Amino acid sequence: MTTEKLALTTNSPAHKPRSKGGADNALAAELMRLLGPKKVLSSLAERLSYRFDAIQFGVTPLAVVLPESTEDVIATVKAARRAGVRIVGRGAASGLSGGAAPMQPSVVISFTRMTKLEIFPERREAIAQPGVITLAVTDAARPHGLIYPPDPASFRTSTIGGNLGENAGGPLCFKYGVTGDYVTALDFVDAEGELHTLKRDAYDLAGLLIGSEGTLGLITSATLRLTPPPKFTRTLMAHFAEVGQAAEAVSAAIAAGAVPGKLEFMDQACTNAVEDYLHLGLPCDAGAVLLVDTDGDDLETVEVERALVEAACLEAGGVVRRAEGEAEAAALWQARRSVSPALGRIRPQRMNEDIVVPRSVLPEVVRQIRALGDASGFKLVQFGHIGDGNLHPNILFDPRKESEEAVHALAHEIALVALRHGGVLSGEHGIGTMKRDFMRDAVDAETMAALWNVKRALDPSGALNPGKILPDETHA
Amino acid sequence: MNNDIPVQALGPQGEVMAHAVDACVHCGFCLPACPTYALLGDEMDSPRGRIVLMKEVLEGGLDLLNAAPHLDRCLGCQACVTACPSGVPYGELITSFRGWSEPQRQRSPLDKAKRYAILKALPAPKLFSVAARVGQYAKPLAPVLPAALRGPLDLLPEHVPAMQPSPRVTPAQGQRRGRVAFLTGCAQQALAPNFNAATLRVLARNGIEVVIPDGQGCCGAAALHTGARDEALRLVRANLDAFNPDEYDAILSNAAGCGAGLKEYPIILHGLHDEERAKAFSAKVQDISEYLATLAREEGLEPFMPASRPLKIAYHDACHLAHAQKVRSAPRELLRMIPGVSIVEIPEGDLCCGSAGTYNLEQPELAGQLGARKAGHILSTTPDLIASGNIGCHTQIQSHVRRQGSPVPVMHTVEVLDLAYQGEL
Ligand SMILES: Cc1cc2nc3c(=O)[nH]c(=O)nc-3n(C[C@H](O)[C@H](O)[C@H](O)COP(=O)(O)OP(=O)(O)OC[C@H]3O[C@@H](n4cnc5c(N)ncnc54)[C@H](O)[C@@H]3O)c2cc1C
Ligand code: SF4
Ligand code: SF4
Repeated sequence: MTTEKLALTTNSPAHKPRSKGGADNALAAELMRLLGPKKVLSSLAERLSYRFDAIQFGVTPLAVVLPESTEDVIATVKAARRAGVRIVGRGAASGLSGGAAPMQPSVVISFTRMTKLEIFPERREAIAQPGVITLAVTDAARPHGLIYPPDPASFRTSTIGGNLGENAGGPLCFKYGVTGDYVTALDFVDAEGELHTLKRDAYDLAGLLIGSEGTLGLITSATLRLTPPPKFTRTLMAHFAEVGQAAEAVSAAIAAGAVPGKLEFMDQACTNAVEDYLHLGLPCDAGAVLLVDTDGDDLETVEVERALVEAACLEAGGVVRRAEGEAEAAALWQARRSVSPALGRIRPQRMNEDIVVPRSVLPEVVRQIRALGDASGFKLVQFGHIGDGNLHPNILFDPRKESEEAVHALAHEIALVALRHGGVLSGEHGIGTMKRDFMRDAVDAETMAALWNVKRALDPSGALNPGKILPDETHA
Repeated sequence: MNNDIPVQALGPQGEVMAHAVDACVHCGFCLPACPTYALLGDEMDSPRGRIVLMKEVLEGGLDLLNAAPHLDRCLGCQACVTACPSGVPYGELITSFRGWSEPQRQRSPLDKAKRYAILKALPAPKLFSVAARVGQYAKPLAPVLPAALRGPLDLLPEHVPAMQPSPRVTPAQGQRRGRVAFLTGCAQQALAPNFNAATLRVLARNGIEVVIPDGQGCCGAAALHTGARDEALRLVRANLDAFNPDEYDAILSNAAGCGAGLKEYPIILHGLHDEERAKAFSAKVQDISEYLATLAREEGLEPFMPASRPLKIAYHDACHLAHAQKVRSAPRELLRMIPGVSIVEIPEGDLCCGSAGTYNLEQPELAGQLGARKAGHILSTTPDLIASGNIGCHTQIQSHVRRQGSPVPVMHTVEVLDLAYQGEL
């Protein structure tokens, strides 16, 4: 089949209801012929449903494939190539940087039906297909006395493929690391439709794929490391009059030698949003709240670490509450997990920043961002994995009343604060389309050229997830 | 979610819909809660996907015909509402959308006839009883009937009981502690008259006078959720006329679907002249288990006789009780008050059993898959008895549990309480 025969227009005759079993365009028809009708979506209603992720609406794809096997993925990539159509991988589309939203008419490969999961307790490993829900790995491992530590707040929804795509982290990542630290091997299909199997030896090609947001290859299987859960966990909440004090407490606690399992913070606007929703009795007057878990197999150490954190919080002027028992701890953590979506109740849209800065400059950075927010007139909230220096300043806005350019400008200024303090643009949500424009501020021209060389080496024709991560080369 | 829904052109229900769409941040947290997403694994059969589809149709970017198959598959179970941290009122959106879109639907004659029959028979207990009896005789014909008609037949019980008229007033036994009005339900009267009989006995025994006001009818939920908005409005207004909330401590229902429907009245009448009356009415509506549990907490209940042997009860959360009405603990608390009873939680307990009002009739295949999945989960807990608070779940679960070869009894929560009072549990 030639490219001409499959010539496509974005305005394919989709507005007419599709006749039963028929496809809306030639590529969809070809995919249906190859894969059977059940795995290919082509009517407008179906395709419209695959043009967004949790942050952005993109372009309606030409066809959507729901592969059930690696062979299906290979066949799809090859067919898309023959048709000269771009390819976007998609997990649960809970991504916060626009990664899974197509920027041009594409084939979306949605991995939600590739959900095979095997646990190998003796090797402390799991082999997961990309559509496996993150939480399902721990659920399956727990009966064997094991867990899978990476725990993005979206762990009930997001997929392993998406987690690898974004190198997702979570509260546990301060002590236990992010997704990439738990991947020992992976299979991926490249832009030509060839399958590769990678271990993490020699050149760490697997490491390159992790966090590449579907721009270098499509991951079809991952071997994940499992660990036994810590035997003891203690939880503490502290609140502070001012945001910077919370950051000071964090720096001091870590300097004193505490290695908390989780170390999270929420500013006043976050605390209030969550409280409005869940009514947990959170301290709504406080400028910032810290949530800390210390954990380990030795109770004494766990308690000592909690005491270190407590002392640092008190020293910084905080008020400390120890969670008595699991139920109270669970309620406090529920508060943190609900931040992101609870913010949606305030304004329909938000720009979610994901900067990381060295811990030593945290107090300064959160204060500067607070000041930027106050001066901007936008509602700006901050929360994040403060133990890692990973902050999520969020700009809440209503696109009907507020200018998106102004939002973007503020996000840019926030990014620059991070960069000025020796930080980076993304801790876990990826660059996607949202922070692509800031890449030139973060990466010097030589490094950018190297990144482009990597992209060209693995995806010479730019077929995979165009418009993401790397700014257009022509402006370099 | 950013949208251009022409609220002006759509009227008060348009406001309700635009507000729901607005509130959705498309985070996808609702996806794992959705039964149709669990079965089909595609975005347009998920809550987030449906919200996007409704938005597109309302904005004029998508033909209703294109979106309809996916919207029709929605059970209305509201599990997504429980899961959504942004508080998106999905139930209000889909109900309003169905009301708005139904007049524009083109349906096949068989489809139309079926829907007409449901809408007429459900609210009329006598008619339903007759229909059920006819259906019973038609059972042997099932294999040769079209699939659309087979679903409902499968669900009919082996034996359709005789109608039992309910007394207008059931006096309190002993000292009168309260006075409530009771909605008797429709199909339920025909299929399971004992639900109501047990309800009256349990309330009376606890000193509650029960009035069954004349002129009451179907709550209107079935009509509303199938998109027959005018019919629903007629039924809603009839009930507002029949129940004067000032006369009662509470207005009770023992069918989760009807209770949820009654609580929705202010939304249905949003922007219409009876809105205030609907608010006063709905404020009094409670599920039987809510009312009894509050009574138990505040004043105590008459003591139950112990079960004759240790009894493991699998309590099934009806969607319209757990998700729509947020009533979860009350029935469990009540059942636990019976000496000898323990409650087991059902795996995937939040997933709908597939009954969902008229779903069995409209989407027999998905309903069947969900029913089988639910029955399997319930039986995996090896219960001695299955309890739930909704007639729809009851018939669905009973039929699937039997199909999987188990004789475990399925009862309404209040039937269990009633048996315990009589020392027959
Ligand atoms: C409320 C909320 C809270 C969140 N909290 C966190 C958090 O605490 N930590 C965190 O890290 N993230 C968080 N996220 C962001 C998001 O959940 C993560 O980025 C997650 O890893 C995305 O997974 P997904 O399955 O939804 O992937 P998608 O959003 O579908 O895709 C993400 C990226 O991965 C690519 N991709 C998907 N599958 C594959 C594959 N098989 N091969 C190659 N590329 C692929 C896509 O092309 C895209 O670029 C949150 C999101 C929300 C909405
Ligand atoms: S959980 Fe709520 S906000 Fe998120 S996609 Fe679902 S309905 Fe929308
Ligand atoms: S109401 Fe139930 S079936 Fe419908 S979208 Fe929500 S969870 Fe899914």
